[in-house]
Amino acid sequence: MDILWQYQFRIILLGDSTVGKSSLLKRFTDGIYSDVADPTVGVDFYARSLDIEPGVKIKLQLWDTAGQERFRSITTSYYRNSVGGLLVFDLTNRKTFDHVREWHKEVSEHILPHHMVYILIGHKSDLNKDRKVSRDEAEQLAAELGIRYVETSAKCNSNVDRAFELLTRDIYELMKMGEIVTRDGWDGVKSGLTAKVLYPAEEEEEVATAAAEKGCHC
Amino acid sequence: MEASSDGCFPSVTISSTEQSSSSPPPPSSSSSGSGGVASRPRPPCRCVCSGGAGGAEGVTAAVCAGIRTGSPDTGGSCCGRVSGSCDVTHVSEGSEVGGRAAPLPNGRPPSSSSLDETDTAGRSSQSQPEASASPAHITQGPNREEEEGHSRCPSPPPKPLPSSVSCDSAPLDPGDEASDEPQRGERRFPEACLGSRNTFKCSRQQSAPGQPPQGGAGGGAPEAEPDLETTLQSRRPGIVEYLGRGVFSRKQSSGSPSVAGFKLFGKVPPRESPAKTARTIQQEYEARHSMMAAGSSPTHHASGRSRKNLEFEPLSTTALILEDRPANLPAKSEAEAQRHRQQYDEMVAGAKRRELREAQRRQSRRQERFRQEESIASAMLVWNNHILPHWDAMRSSRRARDLWWQGLPPNVRGRVWSLAVGNELNITAELYHIFLSRAKERWRNRAEDQADDGESSLQLITLDISRTFPSLCVFQKGGPYHDLLQSILGAYACYRPDVGYVQGMSFIAAVLILNMDEVDAFVCFSNLINKPCQMAFFRVDHQLMLRYFGAFEVFFEESLPRLFLHFQSFSLTPDLYLIDWIFSLYTKPLPLDVACRVWDVFCRDGEEFLFRTGLGILRLHQDVLLHMDFIHIAQFLSRLPDEELLSDRLFACIAATPMLSGNRKWSQVLSSVTKEAEKS
Repeated sequence: MDILWQYQFRIILLGDSTVGKSSLLKRFTDGIYSDVADPTVGVDFYARSLDIEPGVKIKLQLWDTAGQERFRSITTSYYRNSVGGLLVFDLTNRKTFDHVREWHKEVSEHILPHHMVYILIGHKSDLNKDRKVSRDEAEQLAAELGIRYVETSAKCNSNVDRAFELLTRDIYELMKMGEIVTRDGWDGVKSGLTAKVLYPAEEEEEVATAAAEKGCHC
Repeated sequence: MEASSDGCFPSVTISSTEQSSSSPPPPSSSSSGSGGVASRPRPPCRCVCSGGAGGAEGVTAAVCAGIRTGSPDTGGSCCGRVSGSCDVTHVSEGSEVGGRAAPLPNGRPPSSSSLDETDTAGRSSQSQPEASASPAHITQGPNREEEEGHSRCPSPPPKPLPSSVSCDSAPLDPGDEASDEPQRGERRFPEACLGSRNTFKCSRQQSAPGQPPQGGAGGGAPEAEPDLETTLQSRRPGIVEYLGRGVFSRKQSSGSPSVAGFKLFGKVPPRESPAKTARTIQQEYEARHSMMAAGSSPTHHASGRSRKNLEFEPLSTTALILEDRPANLPAKSEAEAQRHRQQYDEMVAGAKRRELREAQRRQSRRQERFRQEESIASAMLVWNNHILPHWDAMRSSRRARDLWWQGLPPNVRGRVWSLAVGNELNITAELYHIFLSRAKERWRNRAEDQADDGESSLQLITLDISRTFPSLCVFQKGGPYHDLLQSILGAYACYRPDVGYVQGMSFIAAVLILNMDEVDAFVCFSNLINKPCQMAFFRVDHQLMLRYFGAFEVFFEESLPRLFLHFQSFSLTPDLYLIDWIFSLYTKPLPLDVACRVWDVFCRDGEEFLFRTGLGILRLHQDVLLHMDFIHIAQFLSRLPDEELLSDRLFACIAATPMLSGNRKWSQVLSSVTKEAEKS
């Protein structure tokens, strides 16, 4: 059932109701899109693996949360165990963009002292003529929050894979740098069967050696 | 039709070939493929005179073994050179079992017209002088499967002949001959497809246009393929797949509605017993076989048997004809021939078995359905006559409780739910209308005033309605129940601003709307949401919810200890699956009919039953779940698979789950969990 994976990242999707979180996920994991689907009640689950580098397979455990504010009290407990988060808003719905800040704030506060790697997603990019949020604005917000920005469309399958890949890569890089580590009792990152555990110390050594070999003297 | 030159398999030929002369060419001219493309000699026309036109019955100029014959000059589907005296009634081999005679040249109905399927040649009314059908001649090569025959059938002879179905009516153009139309008759019987055991038939049905033109259904001979293909393609998308040797594989047949299997011609059992024609054809076969020394004539058995037990007649084997390898090819060794005969026998036996099994399965399904309908009907009487009129007295009676468990008859359901849920809140129709108008006003205002901060209930309702049961298509904008759903949810949000609208409610209101009228649905909805469990969940009272989960886990551990530990090892807590289930009252994970049965007993037993159902579901899928990891379990539980008889199986599992921990029942466990929580 499961191909050997090195790491498993738990990633959560956040954002207002009907921005398209579920569609994004369905497109990413099942490759399908449907105009109508059931509203998420509570939390839904998806999974997909990505080959980040040759020989490194990352299994993504994706948690799709209900967007309604009412559910926040339930979903906050899920933030804590996630390493990555997609902050999704609807490009044609100004309000959902305005709420991104709140989402970011709420989640970050909840998971202190740890942190989550985010990516800002402007979804429904196919509905260009109904666009209410400009790219600039969104990029500005992303810069403020210190995160990337990607515009996606599940309907047209535009940038969907890319969004997840970027986030996964970001997490992986942080892991290699030792900023993110697996730890007991935390489900955000798990090592798999053939995990080639990266010890920060070793990594740095390797990097240093490589650098030295290249003749870099920094 | 390609000849089975490969020699690896028994050559079963069903080919329709044009036979230009009445003297049958060597039988093994399976290479005749028909189809004009080939330069191979056509197999002889084996049309058997059914005696209709004053000809001598049983006389054959050539045996139409599913071969579409015909020569240019006759213009008919048959070789037309049947011994002069006989006209037309050329029965394709395929049809014999069906016992249909080929249509008479002047369109006189064949004497033995079995209904449908026998596609044999040409039962169709055709006024073609030519004989109708030549049963398709299916040559089986190593890669050839029956489908080939299939394919051939639809080959479209250029000349549209009014002949019935059979391919033969087809053109006698050498060019397009190619085909044997195995199932001529099929085209005419679209209804046969439904439940027809003959895969091929069904497919043919689909692919073959109602008209005979284009001849003969027969699949084109390989050589004729390109032509056929194009023609067929233009005619019907489905036919193409039948073309060509090699294109066919056993799998093709699985595309058709019936059971995948080795069915070439397959015919639905004729309503009337096939008459002589069939017999004649049989004889023909015998004769031919003995002539060809093919050795086996299993079809004989098949047809013979077919007459006895029409119900389960394995017709699919009739088209399987083991023929000798064409003479122009090196002969088979005796051992090889023997082996082929054996293989052939096995194929036929297999096909028959499959068909029988399928028929039996259908039969039992039919009986099951019938039984269900009966029980629903009788239950309805009891409800209407005994229980409902005396509700208060009868609702707790043994009889009522038993019937309740079995599932409320659909037209009694709404009333029983209404009565069972009750109206503690004393909501009247008037109250409903007041809140409804308030909601409508707010909607109107909202439309004008765009500054809407936050997610208002009313706004969310609008968004959610179209997402409710999309597959039913009734709640979408413009659908019959769209406004109704919106009204009820909107009115409720105004009536209970403390609760408002929560995602998940739309499913509950929707199911109620499907079962009762507007006001009743609103009353029932409001009272239902007011129940303690629902209130705890819809207000997302986290503390309370945790208590329910806690109690649930007590019973979970008690009744499914292994699975409990398995879940625990992944930290797969109940909130991850129960929320979805409880919020939607099982209308999301379960198919609607099953969910309604759950609601039935929920109305009877209260909230405990909701958790009992959860355990029932876990029990039902226990084996599968024990082998899954976290994410797969989580995914599985939010999208439960539908299966046959899910309702019964689920309820059996629920019944096997007594809600007892020690000797404590649900409510006791719940209160003790609550007490503990309060202490800490």
